[in-house]
Amino acid sequence: MSTDSLTAGKPTRRKSTHAATPEPQVPDTPPRRKGLSERNRPLWMLIPGGLLMVIIIVLPMLLGIYMSSLDLDQYSLRQWVSAPFIGVQNFVEALTGSPLLHAIWLSVSYSLIAMVVTIPLGIAAAVATQNAFKGRALVRSIFLVPYVLPSFVVATVWRTMFQPGSVIDSALHSVGINAGLWLNGPQSYWTLILVQIWASWPFVYLLALSGLQSVDHEVHEASALDGALWWNKLRYVVFPYLKGPLSLAFLIGMLHHINNFTLPFVLFGVPAPSDVELLPTLTYVTSFQSFRFGLSAAMAFISLILIAIPLFIYLRAVKLDDAETPGGKK
Amino acid sequence: MKFASSAKLAAVVVSAALALTACGGSGNSGSSSGAVDGKGKKLSVLTGVNAQYSAQQKQWFTDIAAKFKAQTGADIEFETFASANDELTRIQTSVVSGQGPDVYSLGTTFTPTAYATKAFVTLSDDDWNKVGGKSRFNQAALGISGPDAQHQAGIPFVSRPFVMAYNKDLLAAAGIDKPATTWDELEAQAKKMTNPATGTYGLATGYKDNYDPWKFIWAMSVQAGNPLVDGKTLKLDDPAVKKAYETYFGWLTKDKVVDPASVGWSNSNAVAAFASGKAGYLMMTTSSSLPTLEKSAVAGKYAYATMPTAAPGDSSPKGDAANAASILSGDNVVVADYSKQKDLAFAYINLITSKDEQLNFQKIFGDLPANADALKSLANPQLQPVADTAAKSKATPFTGAWGDIQLALMNVTVQSIPDLAKGSVDDSALESRLKDAQSKGQASLDRASK
Amino acid sequence: MSTATTAVGTAPQEGFRPGSRRQHEVTRLLPGPLLAIILTVLCALVLIPVAYIFLASLNSDIGVARGEFFPSTFSFENYSTIWSSVGLATGLTNSVLVAGSTAIVSALMSIATAYVLVRYQFRGRLTILRGLLALQSVPGTLMVLPVFVLFSSAASYLGIQVIGTQWGLFVTYLTFAMPFSTWVMVTYLRGLPRELEEAARIDGASNLGVLVRIILPLSWPGVVVSGIFAFLLGWNDVLFASVMTRPESQTAAVALQIFGASQEGGAIPFYGQMMAASLVCAAPVVILYLIFQRYLVGGLTAGGVK
Repeated sequence: MSTDSLTAGKPTRRKSTHAATPEPQVPDTPPRRKGLSERNRPLWMLIPGGLLMVIIIVLPMLLGIYMSSLDLDQYSLRQWVSAPFIGVQNFVEALTGSPLLHAIWLSVSYSLIAMVVTIPLGIAAAVATQNAFKGRALVRSIFLVPYVLPSFVVATVWRTMFQPGSVIDSALHSVGINAGLWLNGPQSYWTLILVQIWASWPFVYLLALSGLQSVDHEVHEASALDGALWWNKLRYVVFPYLKGPLSLAFLIGMLHHINNFTLPFVLFGVPAPSDVELLPTLTYVTSFQSFRFGLSAAMAFISLILIAIPLFIYLRAVKLDDAETPGGKK
Repeated sequence: MKFASSAKLAAVVVSAALALTACGGSGNSGSSSGAVDGKGKKLSVLTGVNAQYSAQQKQWFTDIAAKFKAQTGADIEFETFASANDELTRIQTSVVSGQGPDVYSLGTTFTPTAYATKAFVTLSDDDWNKVGGKSRFNQAALGISGPDAQHQAGIPFVSRPFVMAYNKDLLAAAGIDKPATTWDELEAQAKKMTNPATGTYGLATGYKDNYDPWKFIWAMSVQAGNPLVDGKTLKLDDPAVKKAYETYFGWLTKDKVVDPASVGWSNSNAVAAFASGKAGYLMMTTSSSLPTLEKSAVAGKYAYATMPTAAPGDSSPKGDAANAASILSGDNVVVADYSKQKDLAFAYINLITSKDEQLNFQKIFGDLPANADALKSLANPQLQPVADTAAKSKATPFTGAWGDIQLALMNVTVQSIPDLAKGSVDDSALESRLKDAQSKGQASLDRASK
Repeated sequence: MSTATTAVGTAPQEGFRPGSRRQHEVTRLLPGPLLAIILTVLCALVLIPVAYIFLASLNSDIGVARGEFFPSTFSFENYSTIWSSVGLATGLTNSVLVAGSTAIVSALMSIATAYVLVRYQFRGRLTILRGLLALQSVPGTLMVLPVFVLFSSAASYLGIQVIGTQWGLFVTYLTFAMPFSTWVMVTYLRGLPRELEEAARIDGASNLGVLVRIILPLSWPGVVVSGIFAFLLGWNDVLFASVMTRPESQTAAVALQIFGASQEGGAIPFYGQMMAASLVCAAPVVILYLIFQRYLVGGLTAGGVK
């Protein structure tokens, strides 16, 4: 509260020093629909990327989907093409005879919680380093560090810190908290969320930072003229520019979390405690420890579909894929 | 549209390529004969990285490559993998694509799974002769080379039996004159040495290790007469297995002879505790712990010993129990079936399993030789108990389902850890976990015997 | 190639850097005290675990395994041994090479792709945009085996050795980075005004000309961000790198992981060396970021576009 009143006067003062008043924002209504040109389209520019993705993602994915209909295990692996075709049997087993649905639920819910926390953190960091101050370059680089460290180093470090009787326990103990087990039992779920947040908030930060760069200077000046409070200025003037990048960050961040294998694997080991038996751990174990690649491919495919549905609903809702309401426009 | 048509074209090209791979998936073997002439060839060998002795390992690679070149004229390219998981991934990709290393080094417990893929050469008598004959090897080490004596794929390379280390000072201070030989005795001794006030505990072991727990359960069950796998039936719902878990968990909950923190430890934390002199026994370790311990506070004050062989409740080993002191552990080498230079591969194995090379390897890395003569000529008193244990090791069941069974055994411990931390594992909870393990493991066993 | 684009990119920007005090005040977003609180909290959040990593890199391995925060013995030895034991030099060279080229190429390819997707209307445009996101959700564990099969058949039937080369990794990472990089550029390009483009077109610039001379310089922050993501994808990947590299093409991440993995039966992992090596590995990325971050600001911020 006190910060509010403290800064309330500032924009007004600034206004007086700012003699040359820019003309008020005229929304430069771009010609809708017409703006997306249909003439002289350089569609060839899509080819290199498209080709790569088809060969290296789509084809192997189709191959993986094909494998999901085979009874592919260590006994049939060597001649996998002649592995018995069993249709949807793997899918049935994945849905009824394995903890797949539970794993999907855990994966999605943990990803969501982690994401909901990282977004404000990322925005705060981006906004805080938007204006130049002494040492900003250093601070910005520090913020990047968690994202730069390889996942398994992050996981190893946190694993040692969360060990019973280790650093975190003794720190909590000194303030009178007896936290119990971090790496096993129900609490492990929150441990995972905590570590995931630590590792991935710089991702949101980077995207928010790039979004902030597209805020027009006039907007700053206009709101300075209006004498807007910093909070109102952020909320009504700056945040609309972040909608696009942040919607994207949310989406991609969710997918990264859901598919993050290394972090839970190194933190909790295999077999994982049932509270953190996540999707990637499950598919990995099925595939590379139980050697049931067919079943594992079916699991991965089911989860792909289950994740794709909300993904598209979300895309619709935030209109991220619709260029007619660009996130960054005023 | 331009884009779509190029994409289609690419798709056709690549799927054609794929179809071709599919047909050629199983490469036929090379047909060279007589003396091995590898001039201009290059053998590719995949082996586990030895992080403890990485410089020495690199040196060993160079030396062996030079000797191999002198013998056959061929080069060797060594590749390393970081962990069992890495190796599984490598093997799987190589098996599916029919290309990759010629020779693999495998952990013993993984040999059955690898054998089940049929992607590795089952050695004929002729093949055995190429690697120096079957009699060259410590016969106990051949126990996990294949399902029976006629079908063996794994050629023993080194033995790494599991033993325990004990702190001589702590044992003496508690008035114990020799290390325990039964699990009951171990428990009693551990109680004497435990003093929570000083942070000293009788035993050091990690309940959250990814491998250790199942080895305890296996050992105690086998010693009680339950080999876990009996033909096509899995026997995890047997009282002996339950008793084993109760004993193992009991150290923490009832006897309180381990550090309460060990509920979250892996093996390396246990080693660290023992190395700082805070534990009487370090359970389930191998000679790999030697370099760490030699540099630690207990240097010169510790010794290795064979782990107990009398099942919990027994006062002496019953039946074949005395020969189940450890799982048969170490490395086997296998030759890939798709390899086009198998003779060269056998020549390499012949070289590294020769007496001199095996002794040399032991000197550098501490792992025991699989070569019988080399094992006999070992004269290191410190390693004597380890060598003795090598002869008293028993192979884990040879089935492609073993990986899953091991996972099921581990899962019982992992899911019990929250209970362990609270101080007691509920009897009915343990039973239901065992039941779950039994049904999962049995399902996998059924697939194996199909 | 990269130097050329850098030159193009920086040129129009120089004049517009937000230098003056006055402009700074106007663009100020947060009141001072709040700024200080946020910065302190976030820095602490990051730096405490990083400090732990640093201290662990000076500690003995037994000390780390015992859960010490402050080492009982200090030694900088780890920082010298890692160069021979981890094979860090080879790893770093490979990583910089692979991740660096991935970053540059994917940034350039994604800006072209995004440009077409944002500025032109054609059938299947939305499908492609959504498809890109769908591709992003394919789990890596599903892909490893099929990708490997694909690459190994390239060797068998087209005579192109992909497995074990830096090329194979580069192509893989490039492809996996593309969907996301493209989306970053799509969201960024949407925010760009069209006036300059249209002016250039009136002057007779070609599509490529507009892209290189107008769009690229304006979207430098977006390019840097998408480049960073692509770079880190290659830098941190272990799953693909562990099956697709040979000792001579191994990346730093794989070298590190090999080091951190303990074997069964008693050996303590070399925690100290692993921590030291991971800090050393993080350094080039942080330095690169320090170099590039000046392109993150500028451009639009200073109001130079209009």
